[in-house]
Amino acid sequence: MNKSIFKTFVLAILVLAIYSLTAFSQEQPPAPSAPHTVRVPAVIESRLPNGLKVAVISRTTTPLVTITMLMDSGADSEDASQAGIADMTATLLTKGTKTRTATQIAEDVAFLGGSISSGAGWNSSSVSITVTSDKVPQAMAILSDLILNPVFDQKEIDLLRSQTTDGLAYNLKQPSFLANYVASKYIFNEHPAGGTPESIAKIDRQAILDFYQDRFLADRATLLFAGDITSASAKTLSAQHFAKWKRSKPITMPKLQMLGKIVIEKKSDPILPATDILVIDLPRSGQAAVSYGNRTDAERFTYLTKRRSSSSDYYVGSVLNSILGGGYSSRLNYEIRIKRGLSYGAGSSINWRVPKANFITRTLTKNESAGEVAELVIAELIKLTKESAQQDEAVPRKSVLTGDFSRDLETTGGLSNALAELYSFDLSPSELNTYINKINAVTGDQVKMFAAKHLLGGKIVIVGDYSIFKDDLAKRFPNMPIKVIEADALDLSRDSLQK
Amino acid sequence: MRIISVLILVTAFAAGSIAQIRVKPLDIKQRTLANGLKVVSLRDNTSPTVAIHVWYNVGGKNDPQGKSGFAHMFEHMMFKSTKNMPNEMMDRLTEDVGGYNNASTWDDFTNYYEIVPSNYLETLLWAEAERMANLNVDETNFSSERKVVQEEFRQSVLNQPYGRFYEYIGSLSYTKFPYKNGVIGNLEQLDAATSEDVRAFHSLFYRPDNAYLIVVGDIDQAQFDAWTDKYFGKVPRPTTVIPRITEVEPARTKEMRYLKTAPNVPFPAVAITYLGPRSDSSDLPALRIADAILSGGESSRLYQSLVYKQQIAQEASFNIDNKVDGGLLFFSAIASEGHTSEELERSLLAELKLIQDSGVTANEIAKAKNQLIASAVRGREDNDSKAIAIERAIAYQHYPNAVNTNIQAIQAVTADDVLRVMKKYFSDNNRVVIYYTNDGGVK
Repeated sequence: MNKSIFKTFVLAILVLAIYSLTAFSQEQPPAPSAPHTVRVPAVIESRLPNGLKVAVISRTTTPLVTITMLMDSGADSEDASQAGIADMTATLLTKGTKTRTATQIAEDVAFLGGSISSGAGWNSSSVSITVTSDKVPQAMAILSDLILNPVFDQKEIDLLRSQTTDGLAYNLKQPSFLANYVASKYIFNEHPAGGTPESIAKIDRQAILDFYQDRFLADRATLLFAGDITSASAKTLSAQHFAKWKRSKPITMPKLQMLGKIVIEKKSDPILPATDILVIDLPRSGQAAVSYGNRTDAERFTYLTKRRSSSSDYYVGSVLNSILGGGYSSRLNYEIRIKRGLSYGAGSSINWRVPKANFITRTLTKNESAGEVAELVIAELIKLTKESAQQDEAVPRKSVLTGDFSRDLETTGGLSNALAELYSFDLSPSELNTYINKINAVTGDQVKMFAAKHLLGGKIVIVGDYSIFKDDLAKRFPNMPIKVIEADALDLSRDSLQK
Repeated sequence: MRIISVLILVTAFAAGSIAQIRVKPLDIKQRTLANGLKVVSLRDNTSPTVAIHVWYNVGGKNDPQGKSGFAHMFEHMMFKSTKNMPNEMMDRLTEDVGGYNNASTWDDFTNYYEIVPSNYLETLLWAEAERMANLNVDETNFSSERKVVQEEFRQSVLNQPYGRFYEYIGSLSYTKFPYKNGVIGNLEQLDAATSEDVRAFHSLFYRPDNAYLIVVGDIDQAQFDAWTDKYFGKVPRPTTVIPRITEVEPARTKEMRYLKTAPNVPFPAVAITYLGPRSDSSDLPALRIADAILSGGESSRLYQSLVYKQQIAQEASFNIDNKVDGGLLFFSAIASEGHTSEELERSLLAELKLIQDSGVTANEIAKAKNQLIASAVRGREDNDSKAIAIERAIAYQHYPNAVNTNIQAIQAVTADDVLRVMKKYFSDNNRVVIYYTNDGGVK
């Protein structure tokens, strides 16, 4: 009765102009045969009386199940002075309950042959456990204990705090981590999701308890099952283990109503592609990390119907990113690595947020070429705003997206991640079935317009040994203000960014 | 051709109840072409993709004298032009049609692989045969790719606070065998390589009788066999002898200690290394169980002792760096704020002594088996993971079906086996101890 229904669609892969590329060849590669069909299993949704959503995506080919509890609060719910509290709270769920110590939890999961992870992203927090399908009842018993009965023991908080602080001390010696860390505040006016040494020191047990009690509630969570399990048994187990979970009190403000309060500064028409450069000086670093970032006005979803759906911005932005900096043959990697040998890899990403998205590029290069790479990045951004990508470039770059999407769904972890991504924005799981067509419908003109509207007017961050690229950088960017902060003097809790 | 169709039923006892994890054996088919190419295939049409791996029996250990890092730099050149393909055409045939490609160079082997929609199987078989037979070597490509590899070295070694530490573990643990030179090499020796070296290396090692073709996924067996014959069958088998390494790493007779420093190292670290067995040794399953007991997750002995109870380390692990001609077994740890390499060394050695004196419990063995077997299930979910599992069986045990027999070998390990291997490989006078810390300059 509850047999999962397979909705079927064809992964449309166009036969490419391979032949024109090989005009000089003596021998031609054999052409592809007709494509086979990609099947995305259907998602069965239900809801417990306490409001907990349950979503099941069944596939029986491997005896594995990934169970993920997704909570609707992440780093975006933190006050900047307590940056890192969302991640600490989610991590502490696995560090002790009323009946299990941290060690017992680790022991119980290991005995099941399971793997467990927990943590916070920007818009959500999660606890996820993967087990072989014969171990699902035991895994559910553990998962519900973690979520319903955490004790937030002071000893565990102290250990996690010192581990987090030590982890930051390690990461803050790495140029690429430092570039993202600084960009979070300097470019995006946010805070680092994992916290800062200053904020982590201030988080106490009461703050963690409050964060948990206010936000980790049944009607603000979704329980996802992916893999070798029927929707009937998933529903039964969910009710058995989570029916007692409290829902929010009526006075709790739904998260959505807060959106109106966030004000995005409207920029005047940017003439300069970038407005200024921040250098974080890390003497004797092995390379320089060069990033350009901009806080965009692009939106992840719209309300075309009663339920949210992914916006046109989302699909156009995804194609733009694939052309510019997603994957090996993207423009940034082509110009910086393939053509000039200046880096092991260059790329970009659009981090979709509620309400708006952040755009950032990333490259590591020897310190000597930091300025040259920054120039190349800016040149590619300008090019995107001026010329529409042609079909012979856009079609393969779309195939990168649709191919990655299909391949990711081959594992239970991948299925679970794809669902979590949709539910974290409160989007319909049916979007799994429309993604490929929506990506393929994006036009080159849309990409150009997106670039012109959202990419320019941002800032450059360079982290590396400033003494090596100082003069060259000033020469290449004579009219741009360059601010320099020593890595050891960074303090993101201050507007000056310095201690 | 060989078909394996026995279902391996693995039974584990966990906390009083019987728990069974079934690992379905991989039903692999094997054959050898007249030119010596070995072919392994596995049909699985769960998804319309196919993973194609070409595995060559050549790795970092085969770098030409004074040119360490060469085998890896050569791997990069395999993505440049061939007689019938322009530069980066592998990307046109994979990435551009929704597929993926990559390659990796290890101490003992090099693999080239792609995952593509299954209707592109024939195209990619042609392309892999093409680069096995007809690589072009172009001076411009070579010098540009050398710069890319040097950036890769900076990114993976110089840029990471502990990048040099992991290089030292290899270079200080071997005295004679080429494993001491590492895979990534160094900036100077990368500069020493010439395009003539590239041509010579291709003709010495890139040949059908030094390779395996491994294909897993949505294939039609008869058609796949026909295409393999058509494209790989015509690659000539050279008459030259494939050079093999004859050096032998001498057994250690006394403890050696080193202190190494580097810039931007936030906390002291320590490694204690021992020479391990050859990769096809029957001691490996027991060592893997010991590995899981010592450092498999947060209930493991090292985590519980150094990270959780004493809180002197951020991370502490036991590691099996498996290598064909004899790998490394090593303990390593990074200190937490305020703690020292000396403290880490003392505690790691105390844990070693404890396991050598008192062995392990039945409970620990059962838990370790569950962890390893479940991890094997997770590690063969999609086509590419299955191909990787087969490829590693070939690389380290020299026959593809080890991918199936390994599970039984893990299941057969006893507490006595663990005690025996922990006494056999580890003593006070066969270890190399490396302290690693900030160089006193910038912290």
